Amino acid sequence: MLGRPLSILCELTYRCNLQCPYCYNPIALREYRDELSTQQWNAVLRDAAALRIVQAHFSGGEPTLRPDLPDLVETAAGAGLYTNLITQGTFLDDAALDELIGRGLDHIQISIQAPSAEAADRIAGTVVHEKKLQALRRVRDRDVALTLNCVLHRRNHDAIGEVIALAERFGITRLELANVQFYGWAYRNRTALMPTLEQVRRGEAIVEAARERLRGSMEIVYVLPDYFGEFPKPCMNGWGSQFLTVTPTGDVLPCPAAAAIRDLHFENVRSRPLADIWQNSDAFERFRGTAWMPDPCRSCERRELDWGGCRCQAFLLTGDAAVTDPACSLSPHHSIVTALREEPSLLEAIPRRA
Amino acid sequence: MNEQTSPRFGKGVKLRREPDGSAMLLVPEGALVLNPVATAALELVDGAHSLGEIVETVVDRFDVTPERAREDVAALFERLMERGFVRPSDVACPERSRGAQVDKEC
Repeated sequence: MLGRPLSILCELTYRCNLQCPYCYNPIALREYRDELSTQQWNAVLRDAAALRIVQAHFSGGEPTLRPDLPDLVETAAGAGLYTNLITQGTFLDDAALDELIGRGLDHIQISIQAPSAEAADRIAGTVVHEKKLQALRRVRDRDVALTLNCVLHRRNHDAIGEVIALAERFGITRLELANVQFYGWAYRNRTALMPTLEQVRRGEAIVEAARERLRGSMEIVYVLPDYFGEFPKPCMNGWGSQFLTVTPTGDVLPCPAAAAIRDLHFENVRSRPLADIWQNSDAFERFRGTAWMPDPCRSCERRELDWGGCRCQAFLLTGDAAVTDPACSLSPHHSIVTALREEPSLLEAIPRRA
Repeated sequence: MNEQTSPRFGKGVKLRREPDGSAMLLVPEGALVLNPVATAALELVDGAHSLGEIVETVVDRFDVTPERAREDVAALFERLMERGFVRPSDVACPERSRGAQVDKEC
């Protein structure tokens, strides 16, 4: 039986003033300029609440570039949704923060690119690190939950200990260290961003020790590097199982990276109700459950643990979204991943740009 | 926390009631599904009710001995406190108090 979705990711805009090469947004940013209106987003949020969705995540691009963000937060909170803002923080001045919190914002996630301004600004492609630190202080001192995020990749992986030290210095109680996932711009830049095996192993040891030392004062969420494990990540806890994403133009995706799958057609909230898209659309039905699975997933005892991994990654790496995620060591295509992992390139990454 | 402590929720933590009477505790990037005892206990988390009062309510509403209720409530709050989801009401800013050594510059 089809369960309820728990979480909606509202990608309000793909516009951003930063140029991080690890961004998972699609390469074809220009196709997303006809953004949903305030009214349309309000309807999406109310429909999400009616579907008994629990959490609304506001992301992008940079969601604070939408002047109607406080209105959307108010709509979501008023409909009973838990509200989370995923931002790079450069526009969070006192007035903006007070407005958002006053309208019912529950949680803010701010990202930094690296622990030092020099390295961070090089990755972001613009001078923003100091502004982000100011935003961190402002959020920390207000009545809203705060998570500090840092995406890890070849260029900053060696600084993982310094990121944790910065979080401690700032009194952060929740830190998310997420190894880069290779979608969108990050996929284009994968050889430049791929950490080395040595970096990954060293990083894991540092995180493990820090977790032990900081138990009870800081929670460290560590997102494993997808290409280095034995089994794939349980992407979205199963396609069309708990999560849905709405793009800036209103397409509804089972996974934030699903637009990459060119042979799937995604329905749009402008022309079809959210509940109907969730329950009945071809794109959501296509990889729901286990019936679609090929071997080796079909007979694998882990099929309801990792759900075949990520459909978008399968498509990006093999051209076929219906095969086992090549990140799985049992995949017949696993050599694609091992080859990528073993040969990180020294090439510079291409900055994200519209 | 002792029986006189009046717990409050941590930042970004709230109780959500479902139409069928069940409840979840919503936390940053997660949701904990609550059993009826935990639901009854957490409904009284408001900075005013003490842990002792919460135990009394559980004893009144469920078929459970006071000793057992005291143990269960204590275990629940210990777990939630370790993750920062509840805090004693006299701690104004958990970020400051929980962080190990907050830099004065920060």
